[in-house]
Amino acid sequence: MRTIFHRALGLAWVIPALALVGVFVYLPLVQNFGFSTLKWDIYSGSQEYIGLENYRKLLDDPVFWSSFGNNLLYAVVSIVFQVFGALLLAALIESIRSERWRRGLRAVYFIPSAISLTVAGLLFYFIYEPNLGLLNHALEAVGLGQFGQSWLGQESTAMFAIIAMSQWQGFGYSTLLFAVAIQRIPSEIYGAAAIDGTGPVRRFVHVTLPLVREMTGLMTMVTISGAFQVFNEVMVMTSGGPDNSTQVLGTWLYRSGFVRNNFGYAAAIATVLFVITLGVAMAQLWVTRRRRVEW
Amino acid sequence: MRPRALTTFAALAGAPVLALAGCSGGTATAPAADVTAGVEFSGTLSILTKFAGDPLSPYFEGLAADYERMHPGVKVELIQETDQSIKDKTKTLTASDALPDIYFTWTGNWAENFVRGGRAADLTKVIGPDTPWGKTFSKASLSAFAYDGKYYGIPLYNNGKFMGYNKAAFAKAGVKAPTTFEELIGSCTALRKAGYEPVAFGNKDGWPALHYLQQLSAYNVPGATLQADFHPATAKLDHPGYLTALKQFKTLVDECTDTGSGTNGVLYTSAQEAFASGKAAMYYQEVLEFDNATAGRGLTAENFGIFPLPVPAAAGGDPKVIEGAPEGYLVNARSPRAALAVDFMKFATGLENAKKLSAPPYGQPSTVIGAVTPETSSKAVFEGIEAVNRAPQLASWLDMVTVPEVADAWLAGGEALISGGMTPEKVLESVRRASASAK
Repeated sequence: MRTIFHRALGLAWVIPALALVGVFVYLPLVQNFGFSTLKWDIYSGSQEYIGLENYRKLLDDPVFWSSFGNNLLYAVVSIVFQVFGALLLAALIESIRSERWRRGLRAVYFIPSAISLTVAGLLFYFIYEPNLGLLNHALEAVGLGQFGQSWLGQESTAMFAIIAMSQWQGFGYSTLLFAVAIQRIPSEIYGAAAIDGTGPVRRFVHVTLPLVREMTGLMTMVTISGAFQVFNEVMVMTSGGPDNSTQVLGTWLYRSGFVRNNFGYAAAIATVLFVITLGVAMAQLWVTRRRRVEW
Repeated sequence: MRPRALTTFAALAGAPVLALAGCSGGTATAPAADVTAGVEFSGTLSILTKFAGDPLSPYFEGLAADYERMHPGVKVELIQETDQSIKDKTKTLTASDALPDIYFTWTGNWAENFVRGGRAADLTKVIGPDTPWGKTFSKASLSAFAYDGKYYGIPLYNNGKFMGYNKAAFAKAGVKAPTTFEELIGSCTALRKAGYEPVAFGNKDGWPALHYLQQLSAYNVPGATLQADFHPATAKLDHPGYLTALKQFKTLVDECTDTGSGTNGVLYTSAQEAFASGKAAMYYQEVLEFDNATAGRGLTAENFGIFPLPVPAAAGGDPKVIEGAPEGYLVNARSPRAALAVDFMKFATGLENAKKLSAPPYGQPSTVIGAVTPETSSKAVFEGIEAVNRAPQLASWLDMVTVPEVADAWLAGGEALISGGMTPEKVLESVRRASASAK
């Protein structure tokens, strides 16, 4: 009897939080799916039910697919730099004997992550600017002026320029997380490996890599999820142009709704985006539930 | 899952949502605004303006303070946005049924959407051309907000697009203000030799290209054809003048701008700055920007001249048309304070405030008759607005006059044309496709 009472009391304590999550997270998700089945005229307020027509339109929309491709490109590049690159750098930093140097380098690499994406986007916009930008001037200064161009103004370079900025911004944060994971590895293991005569490369491959597996999995999932939620940097630097070449799902969703007045279609893109990030989140949960590395 | 099963699932999932959506996106059944009712000077009046930032934001702030002093029972709540941010803000407020009492509008399809959706109050009885208030405005500016014989908008200022030029740069290069488009292109070599970027141009936002394209299309395509092509229901977009306009624009970008195919990476404000600081000889700009161009960063008012974008030889459209349109305000059709909103706008468009708006530092040429004079406005603003008033026809902004899908296709096409990603033929093809799908 007492147990039941305690359980009921516990539930009562949880209800407000559940209600808040329900109203502010799950209800909008369900509502969004509902909106994606509508032809919605925001001016007259009329909402015509059209079933899955917006989803059929998605399949025939070349900009949707190129946006999806850009998100994938983002994910691939981010995994290379923010997972494997960051892991390698973290291992290098943590292999330095001097604590002062380690601390200093961690701080140096982390600083870009402390800058807001909007500010970083604006900063890089001016670095890439064709007439006054730092990048073209730097190329000119080292005799490579012929390679200078309008980095954000050409379809061939704009997406890569944005992705490069993102890597610069997020690299330090990933490095710091990997550094923390490496610090958790007992020094005795490294000591034993050293006694066995292993070099730094083999130590990295056979000790560090397996023992930070959990963090690597987690970072991979977070990176992929983040790559599909990209919005700010694209909006600030190119607004999806030129000729929609830098649209990602987030910006195409925004443009479909707020520029092209097609809110039902925008909701359909949002649903697709939700399904992708939900899939990644489920994978992330599965990864973190796997048996933890213990020592 | 089979498609039919999916549809059934969507319907089942959507049904409760539709019920829920009724409280968020459905048409509110508010009483229609009575703009002729007696004014009750109490409560909060909300206004969404396009005057955020310097030097414009103090204008409405001053109006609000003056009005509150005159009517202590009234509080004016301003939501000030920029030219870019107001588009999103207005749509968000519309979708959530939260439009303020008075809100900014462009002409063309933009305003028409609010009229069609029943969100703009019919102001014919108070601002129609035969009413005392209506008689204070130029007829053309009132007509720009007329739909089906009814008047909805309060035109605040007029606007037009001209090529601004640096007279000193032209003198140094030994060239005169061009009278044909070909002369304009021809003058670029001499201006470059004299050490200037011939034409400053930044197309990061996409719409600056549309301004060139709209003016050139108006020169190359007959007016009636243009008007029919703005509406997807009647659009054919098969007049050869469109291709000519696209090619002429590409020529101008390639031969007269320093960044050429890279201008999509240049901010509009960077181009503005290049001209104002005296680095560029020409810059295609709105009347609203004239006073900003000579605000003391290099280019003096004496050295600042304007001319309409020159007409190309053998152009098949109207050579006298000028790109431009008034901009103004709508009164929320569901506002319980519609009469107060009208009273505030009568105050805002009184001759004294209209003159203040037309003069530096604001330099927004009022649509009120007698507000723009050589005494109240700068020489260039007066000259520009006179030319706009003399024009037999105004070509409204391309991104506002047609439906959003088509405007977006023009925008993307303009960017691709500049970078070399699309030929003029491909651009036109993509616009036709967008127009066909918007039918």
